[in-house]
Amino acid sequence: MSRYARGRGMAAAWYGIAKTATIDRAGSWVELDDGGTAKVLTGVTEIGEGILTVLAQVAAEELGIRPEQVTIGDNDTSRSPEAAHAGATRQTYMIGNSVALACRNARERLDAEIADHWGVDINLIEAFNGEIWARGTNKRMTMEEAVHICKSRGVVPVGSGSFTAHGTGLDPVNGTGAPWQVYVFGAQVAEVEVDTVTGEVQVLGMWAVHDVGRTINPRGVEGQIEGAIVQGLGQALMEDYQTEKGHTTTPGFSKYILPTALDIPQINSRLVEDRDPKSPLGAKGIGEPALVPTAPAIINAIYDAIGVRITSLPATPEKVLAGLAAKKAASIAAE
Amino acid sequence: MFTYDSYHLPRTLREALELAATLPADGKVIAGGTDIVPYAREGRGGDVHFPVLLDVSKVAEFQGYAIENGRARLNAALPYQAFLEDPVLRENLPCMPGCAIWFADDQIREQATLAGNLVNASPAGDGAPPMMALNAEVELARLSGGEVTTRRLPLGEFITGPGRTVLEPGELVTAVICDALPGYGGSFQKVGQRRSLVISRVCAAALVKLDPTRHVFEDVRLALGGIAPVPLRLHDIEEMLRGKKITRRLVAEASVIPADRVASRTRVEYRRHVVRGFVEAAIEDALVACGAPVPSDRDREEAHA
Amino acid sequence: MPDHVMNLTVNGRKVKRPLGENYRLLDFLREELHLTGAKEGCGAGECGTCSVFVDGKLVKSCLMPTLKADGATIETVEGLAPLDSLTEVQRAFHKTGASQCGYCIPGMVMAATAALRENPEADFEEIKERLGGNICRCTGYAKIFEAVEIARDVIAGRLPQTALEPDAAAESFIGASVRRIDAPSKVTGRLKYAGDMIMPDMLHMQVLRSPHAHARIVSIDTSEAEALEGVACVITAADVPGEDGFGVFVHDQPIMARGKVRHVGEAVAAVSAESVEIARRALGLIKVEYEELPAVFDPEEAMRPGAPVIHDYAPDNLVKHIPIRKGDVEAGFAEADLIVENTYSTQQIEHAYLEPEAGLAYVDPDGVVTIHSPSQNITHHRHMLAKIINRPINKVRFIMSPVGGGFGGKEDMIYQGMLALAAMKSGRPVRLVFTREESIIASAKRHPARITYRMGLKSDGRITAVSFRMISDGGAYGMSTEGVMRKAAILAFGPYEVPNLKVDTYGIYTNNTPSGAFRSFGAMQTQFATESHLDLCAEKLGLDPFEIRRRNMMKIGSTTHTGQMLETCSMEEVLRVAEEFCRWERGAPTSRGATRSDLGGPDTRKPCTLGARFKMPEAEESKQEVA
Repeated sequence: MSRYARGRGMAAAWYGIAKTATIDRAGSWVELDDGGTAKVLTGVTEIGEGILTVLAQVAAEELGIRPEQVTIGDNDTSRSPEAAHAGATRQTYMIGNSVALACRNARERLDAEIADHWGVDINLIEAFNGEIWARGTNKRMTMEEAVHICKSRGVVPVGSGSFTAHGTGLDPVNGTGAPWQVYVFGAQVAEVEVDTVTGEVQVLGMWAVHDVGRTINPRGVEGQIEGAIVQGLGQALMEDYQTEKGHTTTPGFSKYILPTALDIPQINSRLVEDRDPKSPLGAKGIGEPALVPTAPAIINAIYDAIGVRITSLPATPEKVLAGLAAKKAASIAAE
Repeated sequence: MFTYDSYHLPRTLREALELAATLPADGKVIAGGTDIVPYAREGRGGDVHFPVLLDVSKVAEFQGYAIENGRARLNAALPYQAFLEDPVLRENLPCMPGCAIWFADDQIREQATLAGNLVNASPAGDGAPPMMALNAEVELARLSGGEVTTRRLPLGEFITGPGRTVLEPGELVTAVICDALPGYGGSFQKVGQRRSLVISRVCAAALVKLDPTRHVFEDVRLALGGIAPVPLRLHDIEEMLRGKKITRRLVAEASVIPADRVASRTRVEYRRHVVRGFVEAAIEDALVACGAPVPSDRDREEAHA
Repeated sequence: MPDHVMNLTVNGRKVKRPLGENYRLLDFLREELHLTGAKEGCGAGECGTCSVFVDGKLVKSCLMPTLKADGATIETVEGLAPLDSLTEVQRAFHKTGASQCGYCIPGMVMAATAALRENPEADFEEIKERLGGNICRCTGYAKIFEAVEIARDVIAGRLPQTALEPDAAAESFIGASVRRIDAPSKVTGRLKYAGDMIMPDMLHMQVLRSPHAHARIVSIDTSEAEALEGVACVITAADVPGEDGFGVFVHDQPIMARGKVRHVGEAVAAVSAESVEIARRALGLIKVEYEELPAVFDPEEAMRPGAPVIHDYAPDNLVKHIPIRKGDVEAGFAEADLIVENTYSTQQIEHAYLEPEAGLAYVDPDGVVTIHSPSQNITHHRHMLAKIINRPINKVRFIMSPVGGGFGGKEDMIYQGMLALAAMKSGRPVRLVFTREESIIASAKRHPARITYRMGLKSDGRITAVSFRMISDGGAYGMSTEGVMRKAAILAFGPYEVPNLKVDTYGIYTNNTPSGAFRSFGAMQTQFATESHLDLCAEKLGLDPFEIRRRNMMKIGSTTHTGQMLETCSMEEVLRVAEEFCRWERGAPTSRGATRSDLGGPDTRKPCTLGARFKMPEAEESKQEVA
């Protein structure tokens, strides 16, 4: 038999967005500031997922300015409104929507002043990329001027927003309930090569398809998928925190093995956009769901390659070789 | 936590040997230092304090290498990266680039030395098997009555067990001297759960030379690491192959033998499996490296039948 | 030796400074020169967050004794480009979104810079090899490779400088790949994480941790430690003024062990001193008398009557059981043509964010107890800490410092309480930075799971019944176990509609390292079993893996396992796109890898054989042929 065997496997997954089986909430404050810039204050800090950039995009879009003109304040329990925790694939959904609502609230203040200043209907006011105008007229100015006019009229264009997601608790006996108001779905395919001499598995390709509702930042979403897949790959093939009578035997990174630059597959992602009808932005989330199907897709691919079904993670070279040996023994016995 | 009272960085051999002669028992000689700092951590040595550290990496006599009369003199401070990036070393030590590329990563290879790796004598050490295959000797020096005296030992006698060598107090490794084998095909096999920063479980080194007909093994060198407390040279298998016509069947037969040498205490079954495949793969890859035809899957299947 | 004066050239400037207690080059750069772009991710040369150039060669500065570098020329990430400008590599990282949490990024930028300095024409494989010593836990490396390739081509003149400029947004900023606004601060190493922060008069904390898995604390004597010169204070559970207990769901964990320890690595006491070295010496002077108790390390053993009890409030060692019931499972199995049973297990997983836990606490002039830390849940932490230290909620202030990776692992308040107590007791700012080893033994892990699966199907692949039982080791404290069991149960059977279902998940106390929140929160474990099991069933029924899923998938109007009607559902579309996108060759999952024709496409990579930089092209080809 050839030393190297290849195969493919797939797995699908679903996930709920925001806190489970409870009401989730997030608040934000916004001010359209001098120079046509903006301050956004909300209880969130980047944990790496790109939320600051997502919020800057949302605020820029809603306020009619540019993302780099948005300043996001520190997450500080004494200085910013509550937006709860950074987890549960809730940042874009909960805080993104709360910032959108706060921006709309600030824009209502600004637009009322500018409509009055121009003598046009407020519903005609539009703004984008640092400019504000009245649709169907030749009235147009920069957001810098607009903020200045609004303030000269005695109004500071501030706004606040609170967004709620309605989940219900589960029945303690039969589990009945509506834990989330929005779900996402995804599927991944893995292509692997198994070295039948060493039992090593290399993942050569991954295809990831995920419903994200509405993509705010395509590169950001890809980055989340790529990161999740590599964590899923680590769990599928190498990572294993072990203890012996409560004492760890994997105390550092020489024993707790993480995927390196040389262990990752080519990752191909494609997004499905099934907008959420229950929220202003229509976006859902991706951080956690992208990790769920990775390990089973890889394990199913190993089976496709060598006919060994790994049921206990991780699929270490030892387990793979033991599986091959058992398979060989079984086929000899069958003869 | 890693702490020390004094740190010496001698520039000459004599200076280094003088410091070595007075090194306290709990002092330590280091070269690259890439093993000592990680040792001084929780889960390993914990907080480790050294009264004296003697860093020999800047000793002038320990720099670089020389190739003379079919032997390569690899001075003690030569870092692993040289085996990968120096074209002369690549040509003369054909099993070392493969060893070096599997060793830690580029940054650690810039610091870590072959000599240090051999002195550590870890059963999982990568450097020992290819050096065994290259008939390496270790040169040791000390001060004796104010004179520098040296001795040389075969690598197999230098390493006596896991973490143990014949190095005596006051003695420093000055060089590793091994065969220079241009024209040989070399290979290095290592198994790990990933492709970088791998600590080996099992590794194998092979060197092969073809005769002028290119169908006969003129010379074969094989060594294994990670299967016993010390690295193993497979002289009997080499003998079995030397002078024989190269066939898949012969290589397959030879590769069955060393599985019985597995003397590790853990993961014995796994190591036995891997060793068999490794010896075969090491020879095949070394053959390919010196231009022999690539075996087809059918060849392999027939050989294994 | 502390008086030894180091002479160095650092980022082009001459530096003459005493060594102090900075034994490793990394410490000297960070603590003495305040160049905190180099980070300590592991302290053992295994991660690359500390990479710097020493005499032109990139090295891991955590492995280098400081004196080895005496006289050397050093270049750190801060020195790559003048202020207000970025190198091509840094700009490319900004452009592609190569930084996420950013903690590995200074090291990664250095490794990329080194790769292109060593070989400006390095190909994709060689770039990967040269980045092989730097771990990234967030990005999956893909955007990093893309950045290095763009930078290489711009430097070589094959791509114009404009390739480093952002793409313009046409009509909307939503849906545009706007560059990350935090990237410049990360690619330059300027961003300060909690462990990079300093305050005047700041103390350093070190923590004494339990060597036992389960033991009664008979006594703690801190007097000798307190008497050591340079020690400001020692705190234990006795210093907690309020109601001691935290946890994401159950508040079962004290700030420091109270009365007994329940896992190896649990905090028992903490010293705050003028330096880390003094604090560590003081730890050795604290005398704790333990009386070892019988311990339990297996969740199934912990469930048996008579097993050691870990928390008095839970005599059965049960953290949480979540049941879900739908339809009539027995009837469903009776109706099945095929019943397939199997068991699955998943392991404990470490989050391995590159930033170990760190925090800085002080009491501000208005008496507000203030804590900077990379906490993922400052709102809840503030609520809990106010009770624990018995202060009004507005006298407790949490500030979320930049998080160098969380993945759920920084939701637990495992050290912020100690910092608050020490700041209150000493009246000085106190900083604690975990070592990697400390982070590994003290922080929560992904729950390991043992799953028993039973599935009934009709011969056409329709699933008639599912019975699913999962036992999970929650470890010594509750942390997020309750929530993880809930999410695991709700999502267990995946996006498939089944009329009859019985799911039970159990989170169990043991004396192991606690399990807690980890990206996907139980769904990974349960759906690993489901997706493996579906392939097993598909093979027996001769059905393509996509097909068996399609025959059972949820649709608009489907009822979920918890009885919720779905108003939207994209499952069918997701499967359709996935099958087409990967060029899937249809067939039952019968281990047919050897005969498939959809392998090795342009959307896969080549197997990594190492040695890209010295391999001759023909050797590369022949290697392929061997394969």
